[in-house]
Amino acid sequence: MATYLVRRVLQLIPTLFVISLLLFGLLAMKPGDPIDEMRRGNPGFTQADYDRLREFYGLDKPWYVQYWRWLGRVVHGDFGTSRQFGRPAAEYVFKYRLPNTVLLSGLSLLLSFSVAVPAGVWSALRQRGFVDYTITVVSFVGVSIPIFWMGIMLIYIFAVQFRGFLPAGGLATPGVTGTWPILGDRLRHLLLPVLALSSLQVAQWTRFMRSSMLETIQLDFVVTARSKGLSERQVIFKHALRNAILPLITLMGLNVPALFSGAILTETVFNWPGMGRAIYDAILVNDFNVAMVSLMFISLLVLLFNLLTDIAYALVDPRIRYG
Amino acid sequence: MRYRMSVVVLGILLAAGLAVLGGPASNNLVIGASQEPSNLCPWEGAADTKENLMGIFNVGLTYIDSSGVLQPGLATEIPTESNGRLVVVRDATGQVTRQQVVWTIREDAYWSDGVPITSDDAIFTFKVQNTQEMMVTTRAFSNLVEEIVKIDDKTFRITYGTPNLFYSSVGGSIGLARFYDIAPKHIWGPVYDQVMAQIAAKPENASTIIEGQFLGAPSSTGTGAVVGSGAFKFVEWQINQFIRFARRADFFLAAPGPASNYLQEITVRYIVAQPTLLSGIMAGEIEACDDISLAGMEPAVLRAQLGSQAVVEVTASGFIEKLNFNLFPSCQVAADLLLGDKRTRQAIIQAIDRDDLARTVYPGATVSNSFLVDGDIGFDAALNPWPYNLAAARTLLADLGWADSDGDGTLERTVGGRAIEFRLHWVATTADFRIRTGEILQEMLADVGIKLEVENLPGSVVFSSEYLNHGSECTWRGIVEYAEAGGIGQAPADPLSNELWANDLLEVPVDAELENTPLPENSFGGTNIMGWVSAEFDQLRADALREFDPDKRSAIVKLMQQLYNEELPTVPLYDRSEIVVKMAGLVNYTKGTAAARTQFWNTWEWGWAQNGAVAVR
Repeated sequence: MATYLVRRVLQLIPTLFVISLLLFGLLAMKPGDPIDEMRRGNPGFTQADYDRLREFYGLDKPWYVQYWRWLGRVVHGDFGTSRQFGRPAAEYVFKYRLPNTVLLSGLSLLLSFSVAVPAGVWSALRQRGFVDYTITVVSFVGVSIPIFWMGIMLIYIFAVQFRGFLPAGGLATPGVTGTWPILGDRLRHLLLPVLALSSLQVAQWTRFMRSSMLETIQLDFVVTARSKGLSERQVIFKHALRNAILPLITLMGLNVPALFSGAILTETVFNWPGMGRAIYDAILVNDFNVAMVSLMFISLLVLLFNLLTDIAYALVDPRIRYG
Repeated sequence: MRYRMSVVVLGILLAAGLAVLGGPASNNLVIGASQEPSNLCPWEGAADTKENLMGIFNVGLTYIDSSGVLQPGLATEIPTESNGRLVVVRDATGQVTRQQVVWTIREDAYWSDGVPITSDDAIFTFKVQNTQEMMVTTRAFSNLVEEIVKIDDKTFRITYGTPNLFYSSVGGSIGLARFYDIAPKHIWGPVYDQVMAQIAAKPENASTIIEGQFLGAPSSTGTGAVVGSGAFKFVEWQINQFIRFARRADFFLAAPGPASNYLQEITVRYIVAQPTLLSGIMAGEIEACDDISLAGMEPAVLRAQLGSQAVVEVTASGFIEKLNFNLFPSCQVAADLLLGDKRTRQAIIQAIDRDDLARTVYPGATVSNSFLVDGDIGFDAALNPWPYNLAAARTLLADLGWADSDGDGTLERTVGGRAIEFRLHWVATTADFRIRTGEILQEMLADVGIKLEVENLPGSVVFSSEYLNHGSECTWRGIVEYAEAGGIGQAPADPLSNELWANDLLEVPVDAELENTPLPENSFGGTNIMGWVSAEFDQLRADALREFDPDKRSAIVKLMQQLYNEELPTVPLYDRSEIVVKMAGLVNYTKGTAAARTQFWNTWEWGWAQNGAVAVR
């Protein structure tokens, strides 16, 4: 196992190098550069200014030359400066954006898992009963409602109709001080986006868990467990659930990196400054340094979570061994 | 039991989070804005949103009030020839060749940390602006400055080697810093010295040093001392969330009555999505918005949604939405469509019901016929309005040889045996109102047999130099639509620095190079992306730039507009409007004229009528 892990970790280095080359090349191919952004909305900007600044930033050089310069800085831990916000790109992403996304996505993941697994199991165990039909209908509704619409409705109900009950968006209320008020304020701001973001996951995962559970409880080993005289609780939770949850772990493992980059609709509707919007905005306004550090981080997450999923398999399923 | 405890804890936490932030009750104000500035650096940056924000905690040597009148800010008075502060040097022909301007800073003008504002600050500001290694976005006006000399602690003299009609105006035209003229030397001086020392040691790293140490300085990112000259002082900037400011007790301009009647704190919250911003206003979390965030929304709908709790104001933005034609003969597709023939453009403008278009896509906007806006020096309101006239448009197209010979509704003509259909490519950004514009133009132009091929691309693509400046290579082959700042009549948008000129005839000796038309010969540089070359227009522009008398300059500018209105190198659609929403009772939160270039010009007067603030605007 240890050899396997070392080999997989070492494989990350050339993979990340190729990914960085591809990402940089693709961003460089995109029309526009940071100087175009400076020119926009600045009537006094002359062609001489444009030429001077392109040379100044080295943007007049071929993309591979720019890439080597970027790579040279990165290996020394310098990811450049965000031209959008005048701060080190890595600091901007990891200090101001990533924690917000971790908080939002983490709570959403926790809530989704906590609701979807019991709901899916319950639904499977009550197949074709009232509970099953109710959970199925709610799941289909959850899958069908777009997140942005769900978000807007939540805001309309809890912030506009019940004025002041919950905030319409944002991360925090300006001017709030003190530990408890800050904590409470953050919680109030989190409630609606977490609900919106979780709605789709809960619906999808519940359906997934139900199907997996239904398949599992019909397998021979479950019948054997029952015939051995084990209690229904032991059969379901000790034997069936451990097997039924395997595909969900795979799904979650693959979904987690996407959560770090893909909550853009929720972040936009709730004005939550997270990674999704950071990447989107950075690409739109040609803030290459922020785009590169964010995308490289997401790439690293994808690779790591693939590895972790494989490890989780081995831990959960004793039949799987890596050598 | 554990469940009940959890509910109680959650309830306490939620209640603890309830906070009254703005509004008359706290005598504060929360403004919603969609765009956040990149930094608070006085020299760098371009966005309108930054001009607004910097206006909360800064004031320039002058400012323009809501009536469009230039007023002294930090300066004791506005320099004029009559008060002896402006001295112009004319040549034998009477043209101004040089000018000297003397400014005196008010005795009671202090930085927000209590340090007096002095001539040294002004001289330092220009030194940074003029340092070649510095990452300064534009030097359009500072390049006119020959020297700046300290006369005493409060007085300094600027000598311009080239005439600068906007020598006393706002928006960087004085030539010191881009934002609010003077920067605090005691804050930025050490930053400058450190940056220059590092660049001297490692010149090859100049760009990263300046990005990291200058634009990324704590005074720029709000993580250190941010000092300004305005009515409010900086408190904190939570990036991607909000910026807070608090009233200064020692600011020299005052509104009627005690200062306690007026706002004590201003918070600007950044909310990207319009529906969320609107929800914030309806929820009472936001009490006003800036003039950018609600652009394109229907004022009548807003009024209906907000009711009597808010006031919705519609004002001119100073930006003209227009269709730019590809006039480059080298672009075969454009040449085939005869876009270079003014009759084609005249037919197109008459085939568009611009009143209807403006009303539909940009409520509050007014149809434009010029490259200037009302209030600019020389603005001509009597130009041909090019009314909607399908018959005239069809006649012009028929005169050019276009006919729908196969009866499919699209015009055709034959050139050298090649059959050409009138398929006109139109490109614009993905802004909602432009997507709608594409659909409407498609329908309108179909009425005269022109098939409009609509394409909406991200702004970063449309405005990239590889795209926009390569029309001669047919990167865009018909029309590109965007908005350009009208002349304003003030810097930084000198009416004559627009996109229409081709050859800068001011050089001595005059060369034949087309500096402003992007071509391979000039590495695709310049802003005349249409490729319109008019020797007459260029000559008028040069004459106007040399003319220092506003009346004479106005007469020349009118001739330029008449030529433009006849030739239509671009088809002006409408002057864009801006929407400002403010809660009832908020007084003096009044947008300046387009010339002011900022909405937030009089923060010291802002207040709630409920708290005794007096409306003076």
